[in-house]
Amino acid sequence: MKLSLNWLKDYIDPKLSTEELIERLTMAGLEVELVEASGADKVLELEITPNRPDCLSILGLAREIGAITGRSVNPPKIKKFKTKVLKDLVHIEDKKDCSRYIGTLIRDVQIKDAPQGMKARLSALGINAINNAVDITNFVLMETGQPLHAFDHDKLSGGKIIVRRAKAGETIVTLDGIERKLDASILVIADTQKPVAIAGIMGGRDTQISAGTRNILLESAHFDMGLIRRACRSLGLRSDSSYRFERNVNFDGVLTGADRATDLLLELAGGRLDGRKEALARTKNFAIKIPVKVLDIESLLGVKVTPAKAKAWLGKLGFKVTAKAGTLIVTPPGNRTDIGQDVDVIEEIARMIGFDRLPSKMPLIKTTNIPVDKRPRQVKEQIRGVLKARGVDEIITHSMINGKMLAKSNLADLPALRIFNPLNQDQEMMRPSMLPSMLQAAALNINRGQKDFRFFEFGKRYFADSEKETLGILLAGRRTHDWRAAKKEAVEIYDLKGVMEDVFRTLGIDPAYGANQLPALDPGCAASITFNGKYLGALGRIDRRVLNNWDIKNQDIYYAGLHLDEIFLLPAQTLKYQPISEFPAIVRDVSLAVKKGIEYSKVEGICLKNGGDILRSVQFIEQYLGDKIQPGNKGLVFSCHYQSNTRTLREDEVSAVHERIMQALILEISAVRR
Amino acid sequence: MQWNFEDIQKQAREDVGAVGDRQALEAFRLKYLGKKGLVAAIFSSLGTAQPVDKAAIGKGANDLRALVEQLLAERFGWVNSVKMTEERVDISLPGAGQSLGHSHILTQTMQEIVAVFEGMGFVTIETPEIETEFHNFTGLNIPVDHPSRDAFDTFYLDAEDPSAKGRRLLLRSHTSPGQVRIMKQHKPPMAVIVPGRVYRPDAVDASHSFMFHQIEGLLVDEKVQFSELKGLLTEFCKRFFGPKVIMRFRPHFFPFTEPSAEVDINAEILGIQRKKWLEILGCGMVNPKVFEGVGYPKGRYKGFAFGMGVERMAMLKYGINDIRLFYENDARFLKQF
Repeated sequence: MKLSLNWLKDYIDPKLSTEELIERLTMAGLEVELVEASGADKVLELEITPNRPDCLSILGLAREIGAITGRSVNPPKIKKFKTKVLKDLVHIEDKKDCSRYIGTLIRDVQIKDAPQGMKARLSALGINAINNAVDITNFVLMETGQPLHAFDHDKLSGGKIIVRRAKAGETIVTLDGIERKLDASILVIADTQKPVAIAGIMGGRDTQISAGTRNILLESAHFDMGLIRRACRSLGLRSDSSYRFERNVNFDGVLTGADRATDLLLELAGGRLDGRKEALARTKNFAIKIPVKVLDIESLLGVKVTPAKAKAWLGKLGFKVTAKAGTLIVTPPGNRTDIGQDVDVIEEIARMIGFDRLPSKMPLIKTTNIPVDKRPRQVKEQIRGVLKARGVDEIITHSMINGKMLAKSNLADLPALRIFNPLNQDQEMMRPSMLPSMLQAAALNINRGQKDFRFFEFGKRYFADSEKETLGILLAGRRTHDWRAAKKEAVEIYDLKGVMEDVFRTLGIDPAYGANQLPALDPGCAASITFNGKYLGALGRIDRRVLNNWDIKNQDIYYAGLHLDEIFLLPAQTLKYQPISEFPAIVRDVSLAVKKGIEYSKVEGICLKNGGDILRSVQFIEQYLGDKIQPGNKGLVFSCHYQSNTRTLREDEVSAVHERIMQALILEISAVRR
Repeated sequence: MQWNFEDIQKQAREDVGAVGDRQALEAFRLKYLGKKGLVAAIFSSLGTAQPVDKAAIGKGANDLRALVEQLLAERFGWVNSVKMTEERVDISLPGAGQSLGHSHILTQTMQEIVAVFEGMGFVTIETPEIETEFHNFTGLNIPVDHPSRDAFDTFYLDAEDPSAKGRRLLLRSHTSPGQVRIMKQHKPPMAVIVPGRVYRPDAVDASHSFMFHQIEGLLVDEKVQFSELKGLLTEFCKRFFGPKVIMRFRPHFFPFTEPSAEVDINAEILGIQRKKWLEILGCGMVNPKVFEGVGYPKGRYKGFAFGMGVERMAMLKYGINDIRLFYENDARFLKQF
């Protein structure tokens, strides 16, 4: 809402500098966002919250400023007109849609320019002058807040107004020259043949005031706020009028607006008042009575307020107040449609005191009796600690993605929860996987020359019936930034597995790795992660074709996704001290050649199974995949650690067990000693 | 055996003059003071010496030892100060090994804010991002087809709300639906904060994003005053922005609070010149209609609520001028915090 200070001074002189006025308005809840000069005038741009339609006019603002400054307001004298009733001029089909409509017929007007003073007033508010009749409707709208419309009466078929819902298939060309399709959800002003205006939003081009207009039908009305709002949205059309109607205009202001505009038309456009028709659902605003207990004021605001003081403050705002037995009976003025319950009245008192003058003290915060599941946060913080120590940086990506990103990631088969009204096609669905948006961040960094990165994100995957907490990890680029390392090797699967093992160790989980199921990963270098038969996620090298789709060349990226919801359900790890043996350990290194398909876990399993109670652990040393070994075989080197908690082991008993293990390896997987 | 202590001392002085590094210094020490060194040899010669010579030999050995120790000490300082600059490790080279990863600055900001309120006795509860119209709007006294919804343009989903036939599920446009969910399930007293992602169909620019983060606060009890809301938020701002922060509470409008206010802080404290005041959060006393909506007995409880944007707080505190930086995840941004 724009406020011209010159125009304001027609009704009130606040006796404040512009800066002081801005401060007072802002601290009363009418935030001043901008100050602009318009010739010799200054114009304030105010943010009027949707609960204050009464402030959407210069007069309304003058009253508010009067209340906060204590200065008197002199509204313009508005003539009352007694005139003949033109019974057939206006007909409302449903008074729920339009509770009040005053049609005023003024004949023999002369359409010309409005006076300079009026044009200057409108121009300060950014409204173009058109002609005296239209300018008067705009002037009164800005002055009183009552939207008005002037029709060329001679162009109305049947010379009358019908307020009705549009019929399917009807159209209208509005003042802006655009043809609009109408339907039964839209209220129109029609003549006997066709719609001539979209009620409360915009008039039609065919019946607008032109230089040749002789007779004017002036509309001043009150339309249902929700109806106007829905029509604005469905038509994509808004105006100064609709802005006020959807916030609710003052029922009593309909007559004031009609009278003020009639007066100005007769004065500035000549003509004579022929008559008027008022159609209405009720005679006047319902005067509401709100009881406010004086004690409740104190218990809400924390400050003592006497009934007399409350009455004085509310009186300044135009509220009628009677006090009896500790209770105020408050009737707000008709334009304060936002005041409906006692706390609304108490807020007005607080505003008049000034929020900054209200006391300030710390509350007594009692123990909240709400059971909080601390496990998710605990798990996430444990994981965060591991990942940070491992040099992984946290990223936050958008949870909205598009189908192309999903397809590029070879995940098009995942069920995606689509957005009904997306902002654009780039964000058309909620992500069913962390990977696409994380790859987008990876691609951005690679394009900017940052090829070494380690990223993780805690986010959600979204489905029609659930949102699932998920961890995503991406590793790419150099394995280590240790300058002492001779070779600059790139990360590979075991770097990622090492990170995941740290995560799982911290959580006290010993998962199993199985065949990969995630189509975004290279099946030859990926695995699923399960624990107690539950699928926890996957890890592996991202499929080359996926990276090509993302224009990521010349480097590999490794991804792990972990379904945290499953982990949250697992009990927290309880650690128990394991006694440390006082007796020496005997370590035997083993070097074997085994068939390439044999997994190390199989070898380890055979060792443990045959190690009796003295084999403490099997520790992997290295894997050999070179050509100095029989084709189809690989070399495995590991050590067996033998130890007892109760005695020193003898060489011969260790040798016996160790030999048993070796025999089992030879027998079960045809291992060959190297 | 005869010892010419004069010559020996002279020799020791010559020897030490030739010492160039710590290795040579150690060799020098061993030559004279080692187990098989000269001083030990002199002492062991005492056994076969003439009784008359014994005192002189003993004194000579002791003097020699004292001299060598003195020479060692002197030469040690010289070796370290002059000679060692060439041989010392270059400690200015970077240390090696994995350097720490970074938490995203939004996470850090959120954790900092959450920690302030938890320190005051609030508990943290996360509620869903996919919401119903009731939780996001109606339960918060934001009616359908009312202009108060303008501030909350909303993404709707291709999924029906199982609790309201024919209505779509939506992405919460603020964290306030958490209030409704928590109050529907629990009875006061309560002091909770609800952090999380929220969504609004805003075109993206330097200060707008269709996804961002909020932190909601709610305190409900039988006696709660606006003055306590002021006190709590003043304490929060002091802890988050520093004790010199200046605040003001401005009347505002939110459908779910009455009275409602916005809080500004002085821009100066953050080194911002172009404005005097910076808006940081919205707050107010819980509207009785919200209590009614969750089924609390009429008039029984009072409470206050507040909400703030995490991005905004981080942008103000750290001088970040473009909201898009948070979600772009350029490593050079991530590693700054």
